[in-house]
Amino acid sequence: MKTSFAKRFFSRNAVTVYLLVAFYVLVSVLLYGGGLSRQLYYMAVPLSCYIVLAVSLNLVVGLLGELSLGHAGFMSVGLFSGCLLSIKLSTVLPIAVSLPISMIVGGLLAAVIGLLVGLPALRLKGDYLAIVTLGCGEIIKNVITNLDVTGGALGLNTLPIYSDPETLLPFGILLVFITVIVMMNLKNSRHGRAITAIRDNRIAAEASGVNVTYYKLLVFVLAAFFAGMAGVLYGHAFSNVKATTFDYNMSIEILVIVVLGGMGSVRGSIIAAILLRTLPELLREVSDYRMLAYSVLLIAIMLLNASPKFVELKGRWTLKNVLAFFKKKKTASAVEKGE
Amino acid sequence: MKKFFKLLALTLVAVMALASLAACGGSSSLSDPAVGADGKVTLVIGGIGPLTGPYANYGLSVKNGCQIAVDEINAAGGVNGIMLKLQFEDSQGDPEEAVNAYGKLIDDGMRVSLGGVLSGETASIVAAAKKDGILLLTPSGSALNAIAGNDNAFRVCFNDPQQGTISANFIADNQLATKVAVFYQSDIDYSNGLYETFKTQAATRNLEIVTTQTFTKDSATDFSTQINAIKASGADLVFIPIYADEAAVFLSQAKANGLNNVTFFGCDGIDGILTKGVTNEDVEGMMMLTPFAADSPEADVQKFVSAYTTAHGSAPDQFAADGYDAIYIIAAAMKQAGFSGEAGKVDVANFQKRLVEAMTKIEVDGVTGNMTWTADGETVKNAMALVYRDGVAVAYSSDDEK
Amino acid sequence: MTEFIQTLVSGLSLGSIYALIALGYTMVYGIAKMLNFAHGDIIMVGAYSVISTVALSTNIPGIVAVVVSIVVCAVLGVTIEFLAYRPLRKAPSLSVLITAIGVSYLLQNLALLIFGSQQKSFHLDFFDAIKPIYIGDVLINGITLITLVVTILIMIALTIFINGTRMGKAMRAVSEDKEAAELMGISVNKTITVTFAIGSILAAVASVFYGGAYKYIKPTTGSMPGIKAFTAAVFGGIGSIPGAMLGGVLLGVIEQFAKAYISTLWSDAIVFLVLVIVLVVKPTGLLGKKISEKV
Repeated sequence: MKTSFAKRFFSRNAVTVYLLVAFYVLVSVLLYGGGLSRQLYYMAVPLSCYIVLAVSLNLVVGLLGELSLGHAGFMSVGLFSGCLLSIKLSTVLPIAVSLPISMIVGGLLAAVIGLLVGLPALRLKGDYLAIVTLGCGEIIKNVITNLDVTGGALGLNTLPIYSDPETLLPFGILLVFITVIVMMNLKNSRHGRAITAIRDNRIAAEASGVNVTYYKLLVFVLAAFFAGMAGVLYGHAFSNVKATTFDYNMSIEILVIVVLGGMGSVRGSIIAAILLRTLPELLREVSDYRMLAYSVLLIAIMLLNASPKFVELKGRWTLKNVLAFFKKKKTASAVEKGE
Repeated sequence: MKKFFKLLALTLVAVMALASLAACGGSSSLSDPAVGADGKVTLVIGGIGPLTGPYANYGLSVKNGCQIAVDEINAAGGVNGIMLKLQFEDSQGDPEEAVNAYGKLIDDGMRVSLGGVLSGETASIVAAAKKDGILLLTPSGSALNAIAGNDNAFRVCFNDPQQGTISANFIADNQLATKVAVFYQSDIDYSNGLYETFKTQAATRNLEIVTTQTFTKDSATDFSTQINAIKASGADLVFIPIYADEAAVFLSQAKANGLNNVTFFGCDGIDGILTKGVTNEDVEGMMMLTPFAADSPEADVQKFVSAYTTAHGSAPDQFAADGYDAIYIIAAAMKQAGFSGEAGKVDVANFQKRLVEAMTKIEVDGVTGNMTWTADGETVKNAMALVYRDGVAVAYSSDDEK
Repeated sequence: MTEFIQTLVSGLSLGSIYALIALGYTMVYGIAKMLNFAHGDIIMVGAYSVISTVALSTNIPGIVAVVVSIVVCAVLGVTIEFLAYRPLRKAPSLSVLITAIGVSYLLQNLALLIFGSQQKSFHLDFFDAIKPIYIGDVLINGITLITLVVTILIMIALTIFINGTRMGKAMRAVSEDKEAAELMGISVNKTITVTFAIGSILAAVASVFYGGAYKYIKPTTGSMPGIKAFTAAVFGGIGSIPGAMLGGVLLGVIEQFAKAYISTLWSDAIVFLVLVIVLVVKPTGLLGKKISEKV
């Protein structure tokens, strides 16, 4: 009984959730208590969006094993459709009602686009698929920039729905938790195993009766849905949004988070999102050399992660040894007590 | 399990990183500028702009222009004894980073914001600045929405629609052309804002727009197809509401592709084109409507130009001039409001309210012209028409055309 | 008709530049099996090397600047490979991709610090001698013809090199199977170093023609042509040298025709739409090798 509780308590998923809870408790206490620096105050909501974006892209890149360079496009579709709706709704409904509705609508529209982009994925793979997703992202950007209803190149004026971080953070937290829990449950379910089977060997998976078409589309639709929801939230945190912001460079930024966090690792994506988004802000002190330092750090992290010596060193530095030490003590005392 | 502990360690690092950012707190409304231990008042003026990345030249120009004005004012003893301090944060031109930079500036004690250098940056922080009730004076955020919805927000430059209208009027008044081609960048707000009002005004002034050609940031290398279309359209004048980098590329290709015998007509975005490596022949005869000309004989302009050239090795452009003026405008508003930092009679109470009220009362004769402000934050000033002759922008007069 | 031919000429002009860059991309990809995202930025470094050399003194002939640029790029390419990519030889391909993106950021920011953010003009004396040609009303810039000829020559030379020389054979072997090649006595590291040197020399050549055709450079000059050339290489079938040529030229022609006959506002979207459709119909690009899947 005790072991099974410990097992559950320390199961990979639960730990991720605890860490996330701890993180958001800290942020919330500081935010609502007024102890948060302004710099971080404005970052709290976009950071939540990046966590959702990274975790959802990880579904495509990590779980399905396909390179997607158009994630920002899905975000953009959700953002513009959801925010347009939210602007309409904001005159009659309070934000607590209009925001969730627009998030769901924006997410659904992004999911439809995800389905369209997912269709080529049935035939293409590797770099060919990467270029097609990049192309789709660029098409989305071009279309939104040329539409009048989205404000065109002037950007969508989101001033009527602009909300401060105090209002938006609860929605951000909720979205992050929903995304993380859905992703983790999917990963460990029958469906998740089917998806990883497609990644590892499509033909073998197909032969074992896995419906490849269904799962590939499911992955793209789900990833786009969450990216779209994150987009709607993102749009509420700024007073003006332009389609040109969500280009392939932004998709690459999200991809960098996913790769750095580790393929298929939800927790890794969360930590990498926090680290990589705060890093440029921490580097403000070195002003002119800021982005130079960022790129050097990025290369260094990738090289270190691949270096066997460093991996070994990292192994020695974990808390495991410390905790193992305490565990031994505990078992010893338990034995003494005759349990 | 092993992996978990590794990640736990990483998470702790992440949390510590966040905690270090969270060190100093306080998001309550802004107090007046602090009086230092020595009894002196220092006003922190915060600027945001792209100091790295593809738009870095704009941010650096504004920053350099501002710094020269701050140094001049401080050398003369400050504004009624209040010393100025300029802090400029990088945004890479990204609206999201601009908001983070705004937060950092507030943390560091900023009491007057220069908004953002680019319109998009300014538009993304204008709502946050409204909540703080802080004076926002953007040197170069020219899009209409950059200062919209915030009564405390003002700008130094023209807004985009104003320029489009002025341009169409100028072309019609001086009978420069009847058939006009437009070449603009379809994915930026500056170009679009100018184009839309130019189109409207051109229609009322009987200017015929014979062709409209566009490009985007992603296709800003090869303009030959657009140039051929303009050539085929029979336009006498090409209106180019674009920035100097792209204008330089466009003009050299226009020449190479045989687009001759037309007048090129740009707005303040073109300014600084001579620093972009263009040849004198490329820009010969090009016209520009701008409030600032580095070769103006006026004494204050020459003083600024020589100071800037000494410090940075090249003549200032429009952006630098806007930055320079922004600081002097803030100083003028502070004087108007009657603040004082003199020992013993320090008066900076109700700082923001009095400063904002002063903005609509002042009249500033800056390097970008004589300016006053309306309550909605727009500046009222005149534009000059310049024409490039032998690599120098000189004032246009209707006689020397033809 | 004149408009049609003129647009075609514009397309070939832009397309030959894309093709020239795509050749370097596809060469490195075909052999080292990695997307060198920094390829576009090596072009930028090449262009800055040219203008820095020319700026040293007024009587330096342009050809010297070109040689300097080739040497700088080759050394840079080999250095990057040695420092950043070699330690990742056994890492997942995405880690290498992210490192390449990091290298791309690094080169751009270094250039920004060294040369400043201002756009600089690119000028080489020997391009001045080339005068435009008129055929009827159609204007053809001399540099367009030269770029096209040089690109075709490089394509042929590369094909001969890869199919006909010992080094080329080694490269093909490494591309097929690194471990088997190693067992056959081929030095994988040396082969990949040579590949990067050649790829970077191609980047230097591309920088000369890019600069000659478009006359201006800045620290971010390489990124967009890099993406377009990557697109062109995939379009033609990544890893295939004639495919890069074909993909590049077609991409340029499609782009110009979309601008001339449909709309300049929608041309970006149209180019990518054509690309998506072609790839869906032909999933390995125009000239890409069919990979038979093994169970």
